[in-house]
Amino acid sequence: MQVNKKYIKKNKTIDSIYKYFFMAMAILASSFIVLLVLFVFTKGISPFLSGYEYGQVNFFDFLFGLTYRQDKGIYGVGFIIINTFISAFAALIISFPISVLTALFIVKIAPKNLSKVMQTIVELLASIPSIVYGVFAGGVITGIVKDLALLFGVSTAGGSSLLAVVILLAIMIFPTITSLSISAIQAVDKDLEQASLALGATKTQTNFKIVLIAAKSGIFAGAILGIGRAFGEATAVAMVAGNKLFGPTFNPFDITRTLTTTMLAGLKETSGLDYDIRFSVGLVLMVVIFVSNYILNLVKKKVGNM
Amino acid sequence: METSFIVKDLDLFYGDKQALKKINMELYKNKVTAFIGPSGCGKSTFLRCLNRMNDLIEGCKIVGTIEKDGVNIYSSKTDIVDLRTKVGMVFQKPNPFPMSIFDNVAYGPRCQGLKDKKHLEEIVTKALKQAALYEEVKDRLNESALGLSGGQQQRLCIARCIAMEPEVILMDEPTSALDPIATAKIEELIEELKNDYTIIIVTHSMQQASRISDYTAFFLLGEVVEFDNTKLVFSTPKDKRTEDYITGRFG
Amino acid sequence: MSTKIKDKILNTITYFASGISVFVLGAVLVFLFSKGFSTLNWDLIVNNYWSQNLLGTVDSVGGDYTISEEVDGIYSARWGIALKDNVNSQKEKVIEVTYIHPESPLKTMLSSSAGDNNKEITLEDGYTIQKIDIVTSDGIPTFTGKIMSQDAATVISNIDSAQKITSIYYKTTGGGIRSSLITTLYLIVISLVIALPIGVCSAIYLHEYASKSKLNKLIRQGIETLTGVPSIVYGLMGVTVLFPVTQLFGATTTSILLGGLTMSIILLPTIMKSTEEALIVVPQSLRDGSLSLGATKSQTIFKVVLPCAVNGILTGVLLSIGRVIGESAALIYTMGTFINDSPKLLSQGTTLSLMIWSFMSGEQPNFELASAISIIILVIVLVLNFIVKAIAKKFTKNFA
Repeated sequence: MQVNKKYIKKNKTIDSIYKYFFMAMAILASSFIVLLVLFVFTKGISPFLSGYEYGQVNFFDFLFGLTYRQDKGIYGVGFIIINTFISAFAALIISFPISVLTALFIVKIAPKNLSKVMQTIVELLASIPSIVYGVFAGGVITGIVKDLALLFGVSTAGGSSLLAVVILLAIMIFPTITSLSISAIQAVDKDLEQASLALGATKTQTNFKIVLIAAKSGIFAGAILGIGRAFGEATAVAMVAGNKLFGPTFNPFDITRTLTTTMLAGLKETSGLDYDIRFSVGLVLMVVIFVSNYILNLVKKKVGNM
Repeated sequence: METSFIVKDLDLFYGDKQALKKINMELYKNKVTAFIGPSGCGKSTFLRCLNRMNDLIEGCKIVGTIEKDGVNIYSSKTDIVDLRTKVGMVFQKPNPFPMSIFDNVAYGPRCQGLKDKKHLEEIVTKALKQAALYEEVKDRLNESALGLSGGQQQRLCIARCIAMEPEVILMDEPTSALDPIATAKIEELIEELKNDYTIIIVTHSMQQASRISDYTAFFLLGEVVEFDNTKLVFSTPKDKRTEDYITGRFG
Repeated sequence: MSTKIKDKILNTITYFASGISVFVLGAVLVFLFSKGFSTLNWDLIVNNYWSQNLLGTVDSVGGDYTISEEVDGIYSARWGIALKDNVNSQKEKVIEVTYIHPESPLKTMLSSSAGDNNKEITLEDGYTIQKIDIVTSDGIPTFTGKIMSQDAATVISNIDSAQKITSIYYKTTGGGIRSSLITTLYLIVISLVIALPIGVCSAIYLHEYASKSKLNKLIRQGIETLTGVPSIVYGLMGVTVLFPVTQLFGATTTSILLGGLTMSIILLPTIMKSTEEALIVVPQSLRDGSLSLGATKSQTIFKVVLPCAVNGILTGVLLSIGRVIGESAALIYTMGTFINDSPKLLSQGTTLSLMIWSFMSGEQPNFELASAISIIILVIVLVLNFIVKAIAKKFTKNFA
């Protein structure tokens, strides 16, 4: 075909313009994380610097303090960090075995139709927004906790408590861990199972002794994702935490306060120390997530190699 | 005889692995040249060098020259788009685009900026006729190309290719995914096309090579063992390895 | 213990574990529907949240508006109005209008409220009566109504025995979610308009162009890290990084625009992931075919690759819509929690989720309304997920 040279040249220019346009978009997209970290960091660190306009805050008092009272200007997040870890890991401990067993059930044990139904249920649970879980927690979980506490002869703040937070988080991270476990179990090599069966192991023994062990790396990845969600969950938790002013909270029937609920509590002003300190708390939250992610990933590597 | 490509000392590497070794070859105009050899011998890789489709593969490095009309196609002066409009390609598996039959054939000209509807219609009709597909599809040009049979799809891909009026058509095992009847039709088509085009075809089947080609190159482990007139290659091979291959001792 | 029994126990445990999730889902649904279903109706969707106070001049002695059919509440044939004692969604006692005769002197009046003087206003079913100014049969001006803590029966008997009604002070129906629905739509549009092109283009770059260079690895790493950031931190980012951007458009406070911008960044990883998954499925042979015909790379992408990937992009859009509807934490920082009945781009506003937050974080959590909105959210999200699944099914069929 007779090719129009001028058109080819124009075409070529357009082509390279597109390439750089796409590249610019990709760079823009990834630069948001840089902006995010940069700005939250600068703003979060500002109250600890000398010359801070609302009066400098001592960094160590902030990080290790065991009282958080906006009304008195005391900001200590030490106990809040501990609370956050307690609630997240307690939720994981409850949710993890249930999730893994459910995943095993769906992939290996359930009859085909039941397995489909269960998978849909897990997907439905995953698609429920956290605010809706919050309403559920405020209406049902707190009620259960209240009654349970009365059984032990303890009174609660209307059911708002550490236990309510833990149950709520356990429910919320369940679909995350389950769906990753499902993929991990599905990915297990069929030959491995055959080998186990050929050695005279029953189907159930194979499932528990071979399949789960072979899928452990993927299951662990699900747990890491789940705990990340537990750390970062905000609105739903804030509805049942109760926001204690000091701590840490170990009693399951006592109210508690996590990093995210602190960030949401009494948000009225949009300037001043009370506002800026939320950025510091947000910074702590990000550090908590990244550090625990890092450590858990190291553990995962070790577990995976065993 | 006029040459279409002159290949000089061509080496091709995938990372550290050398896939083509010191290829030297002259490919003639308006002839059918067949590349044969066992799988993994580099024949398809070499074919894809001729329109620079290997450029798409990461870590692929090429040394040596391929001259077309006196210009090295790997030099910076060559425009890759320009080259591909002159050297068309038909692939192993029919790969029609998920659009109408008409749009498939008009795709190449449109990419070159041709918008005139009447002109496009002429090109499409001519290309479909040349590809011996027109009679079968003339009433459903606006239907999806994915509804055609495998053999029809492959002829559509050939029509799509000749709509660009290339000088050379590269065919990478064009019949390996087709049944014998569809294969026969494509072979017939190649016979006719060679009057207007230079055709270079990679094939798995030695019968096919001996049936349709004028020249045959035998590849083995990234090298050209033998390249000559098809009749000579099949009747009196010079190399023992060629003889072993065509008599079916390996491959 | 024999192996058989052991196996049975282990299997039973997995049945039991799975039962827990069924139970939880059931509990969530039963709770929401039992609390919220009775509140769900069309009025909830079309009404404003805040009720409006209106004062209308009547100056009428009434007439005869006898009707044949039964109406709810107590009917005054002289004034053509029926009233009933009721409780509103804020749990306050009200006197509600259950019927108003179309020719009643109370139906259409001139407003005498400051601001919109002499504007024509109407009294509709569902509105609540605060106060009616009357002149008694003795010629003494007085008033009757809810502010006197009277019930519907007293009010009807007072106005029936009065010489005339001079004016009426009433409240329009509130407690609706119209504004939040509009705000949610706003937010969906803004965030998608921004996130969709950026997300799709980045995915194209990463999948179609990017070589394994260090820069590209860095880009990918950056985007993957975005996925792990909790949404509340995005809220912080919104008010620091993006607020100045909205100021350029004239924003003075947190606004719907700011919420939309923040949301668009939250959506980026979702859109990129589903686009990239769709690009992976597009057969390489189609790209080769296009390039071998002399098409440029961008022509190949726009004419062949993207049309094949359109389902995946649509999936990303639907998932994003679900995410916008469900998001709360990031928006509390960037949009405020004040329920605004006339949401504008640069004003504060609440989405459905934020509205729930606003009810639930108050002194008296309003479970009925929160559950009703939750049901609406759930239905939308479930429908979206259903469509996504349907697309995925069709999609795998196309390329199988």
